[in-house]
Amino acid sequence: MSAVLDEAEVDGVEEAYAPPPTSRMAIAVLALIGVFDAAYLSMYKLGIINGLTCTVGSCEQVQNSPQSALFGIPVSVLGLGAYVALLALALVGVQPRFAADRRIAQAITAISGIGVLFSAYLTYVEARVIYMWCQYCVISAILITLIFLLSLPGLKRARAADS
Amino acid sequence: MPRPAQAPRRSSLTPFYIILGLVLVAGLGLLATRLKPKAGEAVNRGVPVTLTPEQLQRVQGISIGRADAPITIYEFADFQCPHCGQFAAFIEPLIRQNLVETGKARYVFYDFPLGFKWSFLAARAGRCANEQGKFWDFHGIVFARQQQWAFDPDAAAQFAEYAKTIPGMDAGKFEQCVRSDKYQREVSESQQLGQSLGVGGTPTLFVNGRKLDPLPETYSAFETQVRTIAPAAFAGAPAAPAAAPPAPGDTGGKVTGQSATP
Repeated sequence: MSAVLDEAEVDGVEEAYAPPPTSRMAIAVLALIGVFDAAYLSMYKLGIINGLTCTVGSCEQVQNSPQSALFGIPVSVLGLGAYVALLALALVGVQPRFAADRRIAQAITAISGIGVLFSAYLTYVEARVIYMWCQYCVISAILITLIFLLSLPGLKRARAADS
Repeated sequence: MPRPAQAPRRSSLTPFYIILGLVLVAGLGLLATRLKPKAGEAVNRGVPVTLTPEQLQRVQGISIGRADAPITIYEFADFQCPHCGQFAAFIEPLIRQNLVETGKARYVFYDFPLGFKWSFLAARAGRCANEQGKFWDFHGIVFARQQQWAFDPDAAAQFAEYAKTIPGMDAGKFEQCVRSDKYQREVSESQQLGQSLGVGGTPTLFVNGRKLDPLPETYSAFETQVRTIAPAAFAGAPAAPAAAPPAPGDTGGKVTGQSATP
């Protein structure tokens, strides 16, 4: 890293090293919480644990509903994959040399945007189709919405850097 | 040109890494407490199963009646589903009396736990009773006392109490079976068979492979449909009597619907 910094210094491109954006740090923290949230539901869905501790709602009934899988893949596993990807992107994205990287900003916005849409569908299913709520699904919907909103400044920053 | 301040850049990420580390430790700790195994835990959920069409054909239900009966009736049911309870109380006894005991039909019960609090546990308990040849006794009691155990925090204990009332049943052995994961796979396979056949709610009945949709509300309506599907089985037999008028305050023996998959 030091060598890279030194090279940059020699080339006079210090501007490329933007300070680590707070919003991206927040994304990493939220994504890590999402990883645990989705991992817990995935462990239940995959039979690793036999029950869910659910203080609000009917988590197990929601997890056993037909809508809890998409093309045979548990929705919680898809969520886990998305959060792991977001965490990895955010961890790379907080590094000064990648803070203004357009591809990372776009990837975070795209993944979280798809997540928001899918969460909206799942929330609709809970409210209008199965009439049951799962607290971990609600937590996930909130997390992904926050991540999406926090990704927007990064996108703007990347566009500004490009232009 | 002044050197870029490398140290401040790194230190500005330190609080972030500390927070991330704390979240990591807290998350792992929470997951660890959830993973803690409980001794004698009565398994109340299925396992993912993927069966080929050939394997699905071999999924075992619990049957009663002559193996060579001309009519085969499959029922997919959930012990905790209220409509299954109604069906078991009002229609099923008449099916067994008029069709099974007369040798016309073989009745096969398949578990299709919907996801009520104790659906899966009750299905497993039914299989535990079946290993002692007491499934149908257990089936009758569990449906009749649905309201008693459905909201019990320890349904397994209730089932064990019911087992004690069934003559010839080893309640201790039964409870040991219920408080384990035995038959978890069998019930899960039964559930998958139902899904493959398009079962979306319970009770769902198939007569000689034909799904009864909608579910007949009375026994006479049921028998009428069965006669249409398998007329040869009734050659020379009189038609089913009309349903008795309902007594005030009861459902008139009608099963008023199906419980949908939650």
